Amino acid sequence: MEHYLILARSITFAQRMQSALDRAGIRCQIFRAPRDLTDLGCAYAVQIAVPDLTPALLALRRASLDPVQIFLYQRGLYQEVGT
Amino acid sequence: MIYFDSAATTFQKPPAVVAAMQNALMTMSSPGRGGYPPAMRAADTAFACRNELAELYHLENPENVVFTSSATHGLNIAIKSLVPPGGRVVVSGYEHNAVTRPLVALGAKVQTAAGPLFQSEAVTAAFDKLVVPGTSAVVCNHVSNVFGFIQPVEQIAAVCRSRNVPLIVDASQSAGILPLDMTALGAAFIAMPGHKGLYGPQGTGVLLCGKGVTPRTLLEGGTGSLSSQQEMPDFLPDRLEAGTHNMPGIAGLLAGVRFVRRRGEHSICDRERRLALLTAEGLRAIPGVRVYAMPGLRNQAGVLSFTAEGRDVEDIGSALAERGIAVRTGIHCAPLAHRTAGTLESGTVRVSFSDFNRPDEVHRFLTALEDCLH
Repeated sequence: MEHYLILARSITFAQRMQSALDRAGIRCQIFRAPRDLTDLGCAYAVQIAVPDLTPALLALRRASLDPVQIFLYQRGLYQEVGT
Repeated sequence: MIYFDSAATTFQKPPAVVAAMQNALMTMSSPGRGGYPPAMRAADTAFACRNELAELYHLENPENVVFTSSATHGLNIAIKSLVPPGGRVVVSGYEHNAVTRPLVALGAKVQTAAGPLFQSEAVTAAFDKLVVPGTSAVVCNHVSNVFGFIQPVEQIAAVCRSRNVPLIVDASQSAGILPLDMTALGAAFIAMPGHKGLYGPQGTGVLLCGKGVTPRTLLEGGTGSLSSQQEMPDFLPDRLEAGTHNMPGIAGLLAGVRFVRRRGEHSICDRERRLALLTAEGLRAIPGVRVYAMPGLRNQAGVLSFTAEGRDVEDIGSALAERGIAVRTGIHCAPLAHRTAGTLESGTVRVSFSDFNRPDEVHRFLTALEDCLH
């Protein structure tokens, strides 16, 4: 199923992102980031539904939480769509 | 047993603390080390604890709440982050060895802003005189572990801010008892134990880090983040949390902090001060006993020191222990505080309270003490 992964620098940062998204009413879940997506190894990511990306980025910006990278999962592949 | 040594460690813990630790042992692994349920339960617990502490101490960002093994651990990080070898540091006259020993190890040039016991204005004036631009750091405890003296940290912080000097607050005796506002103080660091007034277990501590401070690491190792990189992450809390977290401890600390927030720091402090006042009045009525307290316990928390003429403080402590009463005797790892107060030679007997003590215990203690002394 298509979704976005918003990469975080640490588990605590991912949890802060999840709190900010929860407050904005956006459903999300924290996952270990796939190895291929993390040049520096071991990271966490917040998964959100495709239609939620714009409001999610707004909510994160309001909370001064800058994602490391953003990936779109489509047809079995991750594609970077922004930082 | 009557336990009057809570300034060392609170011995009676809320039942929720014990339950939380047991639950952690049975259901949690390590935060940041996996996406499976035991790891995520651990991560949720650690994050909840950071959030509770951030709210309690008015930090905007829970990432600036770092878990340590003790206040001593946190103070070492704070001091070694700010003070270069040979740097100039101003401390209060009531500091613990957790502050003075790291400073000696660094070869710091230490100046003491000493003021008489319970004289807040004199202490502020002493800091005002000694703190100058270029001072590497000011270190001050909020409450003296020997005498319960509440030091004027807000005024000292204002002096530091006006001279752009970083402030380290040792909140070992005030955490869970007196409010502190990290943001308003503008402190660089506040260190505290988890096992005293926050009612967590031994082996827990917290270091609150100020905005824009990049602390120096005391330990390097795995953090579960940026693992291909060989330098420690430059972001908190990972930078200062190498190695596996003490999850039973953090879970217990979370339960302790929630207990404190439910009870209210003011209510706990009020209870402890009423017990200390009752004790001080009773001690003053015993011939030959000298109590270190002002009338009405002005500028003092629930920690009280006394001596008895012609009696060794260690003998008093032993005699009380035989009667089932736990107190602390000697110089309490704080020779500087005793030097300032003029009690270095004799030491003192210290009684200190928690939210679990009762007035009838004070009466039994006073009766036992009279029995010991006569």
